[in-house]
Amino acid sequence: MASVAGTTSLCMTSVSCSLKHTQGRISSVNSVSLPINGKSFPSLRSRSAPRFRVSCAAKPETVKKVCDIVKKQLALPEDSTVTGESKFAALGADSLDTVEIVMGLEEEFGISVEEESAQSILTVQDAAELIEKLMEKNA
Amino acid sequence: MFSFFGRRVNFEMSLCCFQRNFSAALPSLVPVSLPSKKETHLWYVLPDEVKSETLLNQYLEILSPYEKESIYRMHGHQLKKSALLARALVRTTIARYQTNCQINPRSLKFRKNIYGKPEVDWQNDDDWCPPPLHFNISHTSSLVACGVTVDVPIGIDVEEKQRRIKNNILAFAKRYFSHEELQLLASVADPEIQHQEFIKLWTLKVGQEAYVKALGRGFSAAPFKTFTIWTRVETTGDFQHFEALDSEASEIVVESSDDPENLTNNWKFALLDLAGSHYAAICVEKDNSIGGETNAPMSLAVWKTVPFVEDERVSGTGAVVAIGGSVKQF
Repeated sequence: MASVAGTTSLCMTSVSCSLKHTQGRISSVNSVSLPINGKSFPSLRSRSAPRFRVSCAAKPETVKKVCDIVKKQLALPEDSTVTGESKFAALGADSLDTVEIVMGLEEEFGISVEEESAQSILTVQDAAELIEKLMEKNA
Repeated sequence: MFSFFGRRVNFEMSLCCFQRNFSAALPSLVPVSLPSKKETHLWYVLPDEVKSETLLNQYLEILSPYEKESIYRMHGHQLKKSALLARALVRTTIARYQTNCQINPRSLKFRKNIYGKPEVDWQNDDDWCPPPLHFNISHTSSLVACGVTVDVPIGIDVEEKQRRIKNNILAFAKRYFSHEELQLLASVADPEIQHQEFIKLWTLKVGQEAYVKALGRGFSAAPFKTFTIWTRVETTGDFQHFEALDSEASEIVVESSDDPENLTNNWKFALLDLAGSHYAAICVEKDNSIGGETNAPMSLAVWKTVPFVEDERVSGTGAVVAIGGSVKQF
């Protein structure tokens, strides 16, 4: 995805989503053409999610391990962009993938994830935070 | 009709007859009659059959801004395409079931119930009664399906038959399936068949979960482990796994070890081999009414479609093979 560097202007488009503010700053809006079959769709904008400062975020190493497990399960190329904010659904994980990812995480971290907790995992960050919480319990 | 002029013109509101003035450029959809209470309709699209840029753009045009945004957040072309087709299939399918006037697929609004199950949010007009449609979508990267019923909830799931799982099947089953299901899988010697049985079971369970969400209920604590899906041969009453069955005489039942509300008698399943490449599970409410035939087969009509382009009724053909549950295709 091409990003327009240094732009912090706010564009009101027909895609109306409420922007959340962090300390009065508005996140940059990326204006991109998203190709399907090599051609662009006309004038559609994609907006990146606002960056929040999360106070009890999981350690970067945990997030990285989760990313690796996810990439492996979904057979994503090594250089694909998977970050803490990546949503499993957006990466193409269906219910079977999610369950397999949870199994992989349980094995890797020596934890046991309950069904209800598993259902609340939407992003890599969610998984990493849950893992650390469970590891803390075990300790 | 003239009373509409007094209202604020808002394209998002589904004032369906009024919408017709705005939809002159929209390609047409072949209308279909609503399923009767005892019927289930299934529509599916094969993404590989949709190659036209123009057509994909047309599908994009009928989506809401929120849906478009979700699609653009998907990673990669194939995921975007199947997500796009899923939304387009839902909108165009529901729009086909017209009652008094043409429904513009773009004007449909959706919401989620408390358990995250999507439903149509009919914008109620004074003069218009929305059709009592229930629907559920499921898709893989190579097939997008939408099940439709009237009055009763429906849950579906589709999975690729050849879909590989990374973990050992029995380890997976031990973790997520019930004890009886694990035993059944463990008793299958041939790894290929074991794999098939596993995918069938998984498909049924996910379809069932979709159904339960449709009822407006979620699962309690450990959903999958507390439900065992058996296939019972009607004549002898013995329980067997799928391989041993003649699908004509079977009924798929669910036994729960944790079901205070006794939901288990309320549903019936069908398991299909769809388009040669997928298993599809359909879960709908059983007709337990007086005079209703509790054990009647699921009456099912299936269409393969490329919305706006062509529809092909495929029930009863090789594209739809019932492999579990009692199904009557029409």
